[in-house]
Amino acid sequence: MDAYFEWLQGLRLSMWIAESESIWAFPFVLFLHSAGMGVSAGSAFVIALRLLGLAGPVPVSSLRVLFKIFWAGFFLNLVTGSILFAAHATITGHIPIYYAKLTLILAGMLLSVPIRGFVDGEASDSVIPASIRTLAGVSLVVWIGVIATGRLIAYAQ
Amino acid sequence: MKLNFVHVHLLLNHVPTVGTIIALGLLMLALVKKSQELKRASLALFFAIALVSLPTYMTGYSAQKAIKDRPGVSSSLIEQHQSAALLALIFMEATGVVAWFGLWQARKPSAAAGWNAPVVLLLSAVTIGLMAAAANIGGEISHPEIMSAGEAPGGTLAPAALTSASISHFQFAHPWAWPTLETLHFIGLSLLFGIVLAGNLRILGFMKNAPFVDVHRLLPWGVWGFVLNSVTGMMFFAGASGQYIENPAFHLKVIFMLLAGANVLYLTWFDEVWALGPGANAPLSAKLVAASQVFLWIGVIYFGRMLPYIGNAF
Repeated sequence: MDAYFEWLQGLRLSMWIAESESIWAFPFVLFLHSAGMGVSAGSAFVIALRLLGLAGPVPVSSLRVLFKIFWAGFFLNLVTGSILFAAHATITGHIPIYYAKLTLILAGMLLSVPIRGFVDGEASDSVIPASIRTLAGVSLVVWIGVIATGRLIAYAQ
Repeated sequence: MKLNFVHVHLLLNHVPTVGTIIALGLLMLALVKKSQELKRASLALFFAIALVSLPTYMTGYSAQKAIKDRPGVSSSLIEQHQSAALLALIFMEATGVVAWFGLWQARKPSAAAGWNAPVVLLLSAVTIGLMAAAANIGGEISHPEIMSAGEAPGGTLAPAALTSASISHFQFAHPWAWPTLETLHFIGLSLLFGIVLAGNLRILGFMKNAPFVDVHRLLPWGVWGFVLNSVTGMMFFAGASGQYIENPAFHLKVIFMLLAGANVLYLTWFDEVWALGPGANAPLSAKLVAASQVFLWIGVIYFGRMLPYIGNAF
């Protein structure tokens, strides 16, 4: 694994991101990652809060577009997150909390499948089943966990 | 000329005191006259003053830095002024948030809650007292002539925990404090930005099967995100002001945030988006406001993230 981390960190892009003084290197990728977090976790929060019944009467079917926005933010963060990881792979690759974050992201993606299934379905504007509410509640906690573990990577080094 | 934040402090520092008195007078007049229009005007004024109070407080640190080493300037008086101002700021911001809820409720199809105006009345009355106390000590820093003969300077009700020194000490004594605040700040960011996206996407023409009045019911969650980030943000600022007061990224972040905050009042003053039923298209003016709101918050995130890189924050 260490050989792989070293190879990743030795790539020209990784070295430029890690070493360049330019604002367009590490700082800008970090900004894109934060903005992508706001887009993806933010959309996930809105969907979860509505399904939990805590965000008023906005039709659940109108939230469908938020899944597209969620995935746009998600892919932005997959790309920027990979670049940020590659830049410091030999360090970040040994931080347990980084793997906690990856696990939580996987859980959030799996949870989004049945949630999106309900929101995209024809019955989405009728009664929200208890099972969907539960999944929405869990997904809210999971995305908060993703933000927390991601933020704490910076302090675990 | 270089922008001088000491001037900005001296310019802004009358707004919270005088402005709150005017807004309170307006609110009392509205209650006597039973005028909804006057009430909305006074609540919007409270909201605007709460926004202006943030840079008023922050520029105080620049003023402190500029004069603290001058002969005849008492640093303990400055510290008393600062903690009195922080206490007043907390009440001012609480007043602003409750005033916003009043404006929000006034747009609901059901009648507005009766508790809002009395709570704003009470909070703003307390705020006026605290602002006056802070202003009085502030005045004594550079105008000792306002004290009567034999009068001891200063004197504040603010608890000792509300000083920059004790907040800073707390953060250094507890290594978990700063990372925890950062984590909460990012959760608040996501909550606020998610609501900003959802609300403005409807105006921009997405989520069109939702009537705007329903989308509007999401907004308190955005305000809770904003409150969380104001509290955590002020703890960063008060605990480590040296990182921020001369940081150009921070100045731009605050300016973008204030513009985005002022932008929220658009939904109070203009009726055009409120008529948007399911499937209806918003007018171009509303779309421009919505796009600017999204742009401004992205700017806040950008300059926030750039604090350590354009400026000197860690």
